Amino acid sequence: MRVIIFSWEYPPRVVGQLSGYISALSTQLVQNKVEVNVVTYDDAATGQTKEPSGVKTFKVANPVRNHIGVLTWVLTLNQEIERVVADIYYESNKPVDLIDVHDWHFIPAAVTLKNGLGIPFIFSVESLEDHRSPNANASYNMAIKSIEWMGFYEAERISVKSEWMKDEVNRIYKVPKEKITVISTDPSVWIKEILKLYNSVTETEE
Amino acid sequence: MLSWEYPPRVIGGISPHIYFLSKHLAKQGVKVYVVTCDFPGAPAHEVIDDVEVYRIDSYKNPSPDFATWVYLMNMNMQRETAALTRKIADKIDVFHAHDWLVANAGIGLKHVFRKPLLVTMHSTELGRRDGLHTATEKMIHETEAWLTYEAWKVICCSDYMISHVKYAYGLPSDKLVMVPNGVNIHNYDSDDDLKDIRSKFALPEEKIVLFVGRLVYEKGIHVLINAVPKILSKVNAKFIIVGSGYMKEQLLNIVRSMGLEHKVLFEGFMDEPTLLKLQRCADVSVVPSLFEPFGIVALEAMAARSPVVASDTGGLSEIIEHDVTGVKVYPNNPDSLAWGISKVLLDANYAKYISENAYKRVQEKYDWDKIAKQTKSIYEGVLGEYHKSFWAKAT
Repeated sequence: MRVIIFSWEYPPRVVGQLSGYISALSTQLVQNKVEVNVVTYDDAATGQTKEPSGVKTFKVANPVRNHIGVLTWVLTLNQEIERVVADIYYESNKPVDLIDVHDWHFIPAAVTLKNGLGIPFIFSVESLEDHRSPNANASYNMAIKSIEWMGFYEAERISVKSEWMKDEVNRIYKVPKEKITVISTDPSVWIKEILKLYNSVTETEE
Repeated sequence: MLSWEYPPRVIGGISPHIYFLSKHLAKQGVKVYVVTCDFPGAPAHEVIDDVEVYRIDSYKNPSPDFATWVYLMNMNMQRETAALTRKIADKIDVFHAHDWLVANAGIGLKHVFRKPLLVTMHSTELGRRDGLHTATEKMIHETEAWLTYEAWKVICCSDYMISHVKYAYGLPSDKLVMVPNGVNIHNYDSDDDLKDIRSKFALPEEKIVLFVGRLVYEKGIHVLINAVPKILSKVNAKFIIVGSGYMKEQLLNIVRSMGLEHKVLFEGFMDEPTLLKLQRCADVSVVPSLFEPFGIVALEAMAARSPVVASDTGGLSEIIEHDVTGVKVYPNNPDSLAWGISKVLLDANYAKYISENAYKRVQEKYDWDKIAKQTKSIYEGVLGEYHKSFWAKAT
């Protein structure tokens, strides 16, 4: 299986806990014979590397340096994400089986790639705008929520880390619970559940 | 063809440009898909003059500001264009984007489908703002630079814009191509009587001097107002000002203080049929701009067979050949402008000579069929290069 993971943080860039999680996830996947390509942002150390663990990383910087907010910053970065995925997609004969998108930042790219190249994606929810900025309904927050909504709508599957988050995604975005998978945090079954989820997407595709 | 405006959505000059360019490209046998923003009452998909028009959800939630909206709209445009392109995959050879307003969509689609991207730069943030002063202006400027960097070729509408764009983004010369803007001469074909319209605006003994444009500093309307008394000392005329803008009150005050309200009419916005007729009966059309990337108003006047007096700047310098297709005057100089206008109004033979030459020039150089042919040959040139590249082999 050939998988691309989208995350806006990856070591050495650590913003929150997502960075360490993606590192552990990609390493575990490689050990389970999954080809893992992590596509992420780094302002300086751009380009392609293969880490000792076997994880391939692709780091892009923002082509536009001056910005007026996180939204414009994220939205110009998405084209660079698409460019790198196109490189992975076209420069090998093996298909890309799925993209695992962590949080909203690179949802626009995932949606375009799904519609343009037919690559399915999983939306893995770390946190939601509604929880990060409670009761914030400024147009800025609404735009982020609209991107999250589009991600839920277009995703093949949604993965969350708790029953509570499953209920919240269902409550806030009216996503059917059948579309949401809760991944256990128990280290003994965690990676097996992720592999099962990945397989369920690639099998329905074929 | 990606554009943020297409009729009936008309905000600026890009909308008619896309309409005529796609229509005439279709006449040349090019299959054109226009993807543009939606508009109340306009269908999501229709075929107009053999052009497939798709109107996307242009992001209608409230946006923090205009620039952020542009990027959100691009997200939607990309999503829908990607699905469309996949559906008709083998038919799309080239993506053609117009201005930074569709930069993200154009760049993303280029990479996702590995097809060449062409860009037409109608204007620049640097030119519009006369410098880059805020974070928003810098961001837009950088987005323009990124778009021209990603483009296979950059099309500009005048030699002036070519040199401006080359300087603004540091582009190599061989990336830039000049294709002029066009004008639809058939707009002015009608034979109907102009007496009625003439008598509505001017007395029989008055000549008509016409200005069409926004009442803003860069259009140089204040230069024309300052030239009015100088012209009236030589020839009896009525000055008709069509358009609106932030300078209107100020200009009205100047006209009042000169006691010339009966000679200078501020008409504001005018419906198109009336304007087309007025352009045809104008004894002189004046374009006194200080900054002008192209100067479509001059071209319209030439198509309407109205003699043109324009300032020698930007794209106007290229459209007008002095003493042949019009009169060029010094920019920002009321004396020079008054001289040019009086010359045309006092010498009927001269006026006839330049307006007939101008009409011929428009037919030869600014005809949409010719422009579409030039554009088509740029597409073919780019595709020829593309097919030799590793992108063509990989896809």
